[in-house]
Amino acid sequence: MDVLQLGSYTFSSRLILGTGKFSNSRVMLDAVRASGAQLVTVALRRFNREQLEDDLFGPLSAIEGITLMPNTSGASTAAEAVRAAHIACELSGSPFIKVEIHPNPQHLMPDPIETFEASRILAKEGFLVMPYIAADPVLAKRLEEVGCASVMPLGSAIGSGQGLATSEMLNIIIRESGIPVIVDAGLRSPSEAALAMEMGCEAVLVNSAIAVAGNPSEMAEAFAEAVAAGRKAFRAGLMQKSGSAVATSPLTSFLGTL
Amino acid sequence: MGTPEWLSDNRGTAALAAMLAATSSHSLEALAAESRAMTLRRFGRTMTLYAPLYLSNHCSSGCAYCGFASDRKTPRHRLEPDEIRRELAAMKKLGISDILLLTGERTAAADFDYLQRSVAIAAEEMQRVSVEAFPMSVSEYRSLADCGCTGITIYQETYNQERYEALHRWGPKKDFIDRLETPARALEGGIKTVGLGILLGLSDPVEDALNLYRHVRHLGRTWWRAGISVSFPRMRPQTGGYEPPFPVDNQLLARIIVAFRIALPDTELVLSTRESATFRDGMAGLGITRMSVESKTTVGGYSESKEGEACEEKEKGQFEISDDRTAKEFCAALRRQNIEPIFKNWEPTYNGPSSIINPENEISTILHNNY
Repeated sequence: MDVLQLGSYTFSSRLILGTGKFSNSRVMLDAVRASGAQLVTVALRRFNREQLEDDLFGPLSAIEGITLMPNTSGASTAAEAVRAAHIACELSGSPFIKVEIHPNPQHLMPDPIETFEASRILAKEGFLVMPYIAADPVLAKRLEEVGCASVMPLGSAIGSGQGLATSEMLNIIIRESGIPVIVDAGLRSPSEAALAMEMGCEAVLVNSAIAVAGNPSEMAEAFAEAVAAGRKAFRAGLMQKSGSAVATSPLTSFLGTL
Repeated sequence: MGTPEWLSDNRGTAALAAMLAATSSHSLEALAAESRAMTLRRFGRTMTLYAPLYLSNHCSSGCAYCGFASDRKTPRHRLEPDEIRRELAAMKKLGISDILLLTGERTAAADFDYLQRSVAIAAEEMQRVSVEAFPMSVSEYRSLADCGCTGITIYQETYNQERYEALHRWGPKKDFIDRLETPARALEGGIKTVGLGILLGLSDPVEDALNLYRHVRHLGRTWWRAGISVSFPRMRPQTGGYEPPFPVDNQLLARIIVAFRIALPDTELVLSTRESATFRDGMAGLGITRMSVESKTTVGGYSESKEGEACEEKEKGQFEISDDRTAKEFCAALRRQNIEPIFKNWEPTYNGPSSIINPENEISTILHNNY
C-alpha cells in the first residue's frame, strides 16, 4: 500500500493541516475532519491550559485517528526551539516536532543555521524532526544527514499564496532526497498541491488556503482530492514533456554501420 | 545630535504618500478591499488580544495633551505588589494572558526598580508581558528582558520636532532625539518587539504617518530580528481639556490603517479601546491584527470594577475609553464577523534575550587543529 512513512509511523493521507488561522475551533475541526488528514500541526504557543476556549490542543487531541505534530513557531533560536520541543512533547506526548525557527516575525523566513542546530539536537534525542526550511537543496541534505524524518521546504512565503515559486529548487531537493520532502507554506489552490505531488513531494502542508477559504471544509476536501490525484499521477508515471520533436529517421542509426 | 538620516529616507514612501494624499486617486473602498485580502492571507481569520495594566500615574513630564501630566490635579497612586497581583488575578479571570504594563515618565515613586519588580511579578502570572513606560538605557532594557519582558511600546507621538518640543512642555520626554532612539536601545538590550505609534491630532497626520513608516523600515533593516507593531492612537478627551489642533476623522484614520497594511504587509497593526465599538469592529477585518480588550486606564481599575459600580468618585484615567464592552461581549462581536479572538499567542519559553549560535568558536577550533 502507498503510505507516507515518517520514522516508524505510516499515514495513508498525504495532506497535513496547519491549524493557526481559522475563524474558530469548530470550523478548524470540521476542516480537519473533511480533509482526512492524519497528521496535524499546532503551535505550542496556541496551547492554552488556563483558558480552554482559547486552546487549540485539547479539541484536536480529541479527534480520533489524528497524530499531532507540535511546532515551535515563535522561537527565534535553536535553544528556544529545543526548549519548546521538550515542553510540547511533555504536553502532547507526540514524538513529532515541526521545527520552525523564524527570527524575523514579519516575513517568517526560517533561519537555516538555527534550524540545523535545533534539528540535529532533537533528532539525536529521538524526536521525529520535521524542519521547516527555505527551498535549499544543500540544507536539505545536511538535515537528512543528522537524522531528520523529513524536510519541509517552503513553496513560497507563509501566507503569500504564491504557490510553488521555488519549484526549481524543490525539484533538486526531491531528486536528491533520501527522506520525504513535504512542501510547506505558500500553496493557494488545490491545483498547486496536485502539482507538488506530481513533482514527487511525499506530502503537502496547507493552512491559510483552507483556513481563509469561503468554505474551509469544502476547500479541505478539495485539497485532499488534489493531493490524492497528484500522488496517483506521480505513481502512474507522467508522460514525458518532450523537449524536441522525435525525428522520423533515427539520428543515431549511423552507429550501427560502424 | 542632529536629526537622523533615516528620517529623509524615501524608499517606499511615494506609494504610501499616494494612498494617504487628500486628493488620492485610490478610493478608500479599493484600498480597504486590498488591505482586507492581504490581512486574511498573512494573519488568517484571527485577532490577538491584550490588555493594559496601569501600574502608576506618577509623572514628571508636562505633555500638553495627557491626563497624567505632572501639572494635572489627578490623585497620584502606584500599585504595590499585592495590588498588582490582585489586578493580574482580575485580568486572568477575563481570559487575558498578554499584558502591557504602563507608567508615566520616570519618577522617584515609579522608577526603574519599581518597574522591574512589577515586570517580574507580572511574568509569573501572564504568558506575555510588554511595557509602555519611560525611555531606558540598554542595560536597563536587558534587565527587563531578563525578567520576562518581551516587548516595549514607545510612541514618538509626533515626528515633527518643532511641534514635539512645543507639546512636551517640560520633563525628560522633551528630548525629541532621545525619544526617537529609544526603540533601538530596547532592541539592543534584547527586547524582542517594539511598538511604534503617532498620537493622531497633534500634528499633520500624513507627514507623521510617513515618518512613522520610515521609522518602521529603519528599525526593520537595522534590527532584522525585531518584531515591530504599529499603533494609531487618536486624541481622546482627557483631563486638562487639550483640543487637538489636527483632528483626524474616521475616514482618514481608516485610510491610514489600510494604507499601512498595504505598505507593510506583515507588520502587526494595533487598535485600542480609544476607538468606538463600531470603528473597531469595522477595522477588525480590514488590517488590524491586535486589539486591546476591556481596558481600564485608571491605576487599579480591574479589581475595583469587580467590587461594584457604586463608587463613582473614581480618579480619572489617562484618557476616556470609547469601546467599553466586556471581553466577552467584544469576543462575541469578533466571532460574529468570523474572526477568532486569540488570548494566548506566545510561549514564555521564548522569553529573555535570544542567544544565537556563534559558529565562530567551533570553526576556529577546527582551523586551529588542522594547521
